[in-house]
Order: sequence, then structure tokens, then C-alpha cells
Amino acid sequence: MNPVFNMDAATMSPVALFLQADWVVKFVMGGLLAASIWTWAIIIGFSVRLKRTRKDMTKFERDFWKADDIDAFHKAEAERDLPSARVFAAGVREWRHSTAGGQIDKGGTRERLATAMGAAAASEIDRLSDRLNILATVGSVAPFVGLFGTVWGIMRSFTGIASAQNSSLAVVAPGIAEALFATAIGLFAAIPAVIAYNRFSHGVNRIEAALNRFADGFHTTLSRQLDGSR
Amino acid sequence: MERSEKIGLGVALGGHAVLFGLLSVGFLATPNPETLKQQPITVSLVEEVGKEAVSPTPNVEPAQSVAPEEGPPEDAAPPEPVEAPPAPKPDPAPPAPAPKPAPPKPAPEPVAKPKPAPAPKPAPALKPQPKKPTPAPEKAAPAKPTPAKPSAPAAKPAPAKTATRAAASAAKPTTAARGSGNSPTATASKPRGSRLGDDFLKGLSDRPSTSKAEAAPAAKMGAQAAADIGSAIQRQVQPCANRQVNPGPGASRIRVTINLKLNRDGSLAARPRVVGHSGVDDENSRYVDRVDDLAIASFVGCAPLRGLPADLYDVQNGWSNFTLRYKLPG
Repeated sequence: MNPVFNMDAATMSPVALFLQADWVVKFVMGGLLAASIWTWAIIIGFSVRLKRTRKDMTKFERDFWKADDIDAFHKAEAERDLPSARVFAAGVREWRHSTAGGQIDKGGTRERLATAMGAAAASEIDRLSDRLNILATVGSVAPFVGLFGTVWGIMRSFTGIASAQNSSLAVVAPGIAEALFATAIGLFAAIPAVIAYNRFSHGVNRIEAALNRFADGFHTTLSRQLDGSR
Repeated sequence: MERSEKIGLGVALGGHAVLFGLLSVGFLATPNPETLKQQPITVSLVEEVGKEAVSPTPNVEPAQSVAPEEGPPEDAAPPEPVEAPPAPKPDPAPPAPAPKPAPPKPAPEPVAKPKPAPAPKPAPALKPQPKKPTPAPEKAAPAKPTPAKPSAPAAKPAPAKTATRAAASAAKPTTAARGSGNSPTATASKPRGSRLGDDFLKGLSDRPSTSKAEAAPAAKMGAQAAADIGSAIQRQVQPCANRQVNPGPGASRIRVTINLKLNRDGSLAARPRVVGHSGVDDENSRYVDRVDDLAIASFVGCAPLRGLPADLYDVQNGWSNFTLRYKLPG
């Protein structure tokens, strides 16, 4: 007997459980499996990106505050794919637009600078937390989907009892096992999703706070420049 | 899709494949899942049959130990002349037997003597005489009465023969018992079979025995056995029955007919079932349901019933499915 496709009734093999199941339960299982894979892909990708972003942002800000010439720094770093760099670039762009004319409205310029950098930061955070809602959805819905598969499978095995005219455990047990497998997959997908969602939203919040701090700092610098340039 | 997401997707796919592959080859499988076994149960449907003693009464009357008669009694043959010649030889004998076996015997006449001497016996006859005192008590003693009678002149030969028989039996205590047809005590009591030995024809009878060869009686549930089992169950249930609270006046008049399904070990195979009532009247009719519950509770409470005859468990009307009447105490 091929051990991988062990079709024995008393087996834990997920393949066997999947193949024995009803098509509705199969569909549920397949969906949940895909959700689980997608969840883990997001988790892995997100954690990598979050860590890298945080590191790069720290380094960028350190470099920024050390830089003597903002224009030179802008030329070197503004094109980087980094939230801080985007905010910085947005601020510099708005500064150049506002100071391009002869007459400078300081108050208006400050407001525009703040708005431009705030918008850039918000857009970066949106972009960053794009996948997070998938984790939230999987974490909250997967158990219900799995439960649906279980209920369906148990209903099916009970109708099986009725048609077999035999209520022995051997008749019921495989059906219920494969039905419960749907809930197991649902929880298997949902639990990491929920944990990752909480953890990543916390990480995104920290990045957002760091980004806002940087934007505020840059805004004060520009604002001081605005006053001094007069 | 960014590069990090691609990496994540690849890792997730690989991880899932590895995990499910491990589960498929029995990574977390139960080592030896107990196989579910079903014990087949034989079900026999038996229609209701009246409870009467159906087992045949075993006939214990033993066969009589009566031996057949050994042919018709016959009179002794008249003394033969041939035997006369030996007669002189035993001459010394006559005086000896005469005094000993029958002291009162008046008539051991010489006439008799020639007869007692059948040819084969002369030599032994002489020897035994000194021994006579010992055999005398067993055979000669019973023989005495007969010689006493023959004193009457009419039956002369008879005494003589008994005397000889006594002598003969004395000579050969064992073989002498086998009386041949020609030398028996004709007028004396018939030869009894017991003389042939106590165990001769043991167990046989000369008349048809009252015992009949029948198959061994099967254990069957008769009325007596049913009553015994019923009272045994009542006795064991009594402690639980005494614990029940009488729901109201007249409730103890209600008799509940209750059906028990029992296992072989005396435990209940199913919840007792009430199959009928009696003694319900206007006063206590509202307690019927309560009494039913109490009855069931009594039987459930004292459930494993002990000491019921095991051989009457699964016979027809056996106590595997037993119906009895229950009444609240008091």
C-alpha cells in the first residue's frame, strides 16, 4: 500500500481525508488550504519587508540628520523605495514648488509642506499595510468556513448512517473525521493569520509613528529654513 | 508582487507541502489505532408461551433387584439304590451332623442317611465334620426350623435333605449355594435370587420398570422457577424500594407490571419498562406516573441483581427478559 495515499479508514493522512470527503468539503478544504498558503506567504514576505523597512528607515534618518546639504542628500537618496525617502522627497518637492516664486507665503508654505508630507506618509503606510487586511480576513473568516465544511461533512455522514441502517461507530467515524479536518484546516489558517495580523499592525503602527516623527522633524527644519531664508 | 512576497509565497508553499507530506506518511498518526470490532449478537424471536412446568419429572425410582426364579421347584428325587453302597461310608458322619446342626432334631434316622450321601461328597463330608461348628451358624441355623417340622412323620425326606444340604454347604460354602435342580429343598421356600450373590442381575427387574429412558430434562422456566426468580429480584430491590417516598394516599395499592431486560451478570440491559398497572382507582390514579417512575428508579437503583440462576438466563421465558409486578412498600 502506498503510504502517502493510505486510504485506510483509521488514518491521519490529510490526502486520504481530503480524497474521501464530499465535494463541498473538498472545496472548503481547498479554499482554506489556499488561504493558509497565502497567509503564510504574506506573513513571510511582510515580516521580511517590515524588518528591512525599519532598518533602512533608521539608517536613512540617521544619514539625513547627519547630512550637511539637503539638496545633495536629496539628489543621492530621494529615489529610494523607502517610506522615509518618499516623505522626504515629497517635502523637498513641495518646498521647491513653494519657494520657486519671488513672493513666499510662509504660513501657506508651512501648511502645504505639512499636508504634502502627511499625505506622503499616509500613502506609504497604506501601501505598507496593503496585505494586512487579508490576514485579518483570513483570521476571522477561516474558522467559520472550516466550521461550515465540518457541519456539511457531519450532515453527510449522518445521512450516510440513515442510508446504511447502521449506527455503529465504524460507519460514522471516518465521515466525522474528514469533516473535522475542515475545521482543523480552518484553524490552521486562522491562528497564524490572527497572530500575524496583530503583530504586523503593531509593526506598521511603529513605522507610521516613526514616519510621522521624521516628517515633523523635516517640517520643523524646513520651517526654520523658511524663516531664516527671508 | 514584490520580491519579498514571491519569496514568502515560495516558502509558504514549500512549508505546506512538507507539512502535509509528513502528515501523509504518518508523521503524527496514531501508532496503532484500535480497530473497531463489532461483536455479533444472536437474536432469536420467541413467541410468548405460558409459564408452566415443562420439564419432565425425572423418575428416580430405582429398578427392583429381584432375581428371576430358577426354574420350578421340584421335589427331591427318591433315594436311589445306587447310592446305597456309599452309604456305609458316611456312617460315621450321621452321628456328627445329627447332634450339631439340630440338637433338638429328633429324627435323623438312618433312612435319611443314605440319601444325604450323593456320590461326589463322601470324602469331603468326612472332613467338614470337625469344622461344622463354624458353618453351622450361617447355613445350618436357618435350616434348622425345617428339620424341626419334618419331625412330623409325613415329610420324612425333607428333613433329611436339608440336613444334607447343610452338610453340603458346610463342605463347600461357596459352590454349595448353587443349588442344582435335583437337590433343592422342594417344599421349603423358593430359591431366591439373592442366593446367587447380592450383585447378581443388579439393576434388572422382572417387571417393566416405571422409569422411562428420556433425554435429560433441559433447564426450563417453569412457574416455580419464575416465582423463585421473581421473589429473588423483589428481595434485592427491596432496599431501593424502601427508599422511595410514597407519593400519596393509595399509591401503594397500585401494582406496576414492569419488564426488565437483564444481562447475564444481572445488570440491566435496558431501562425497565412499565407494561401495565393494576389496582388503579379514582383516589390514586393521579399517582400512576409517579409510581411508574419510582418503580423504575427502584430497579435501576439496585441494579446488578445477584444470585439469579445462570442456567435459566437464556432459556425460553428465562430471566433475560423478565416481567414482574412491583408495588410500593407500605
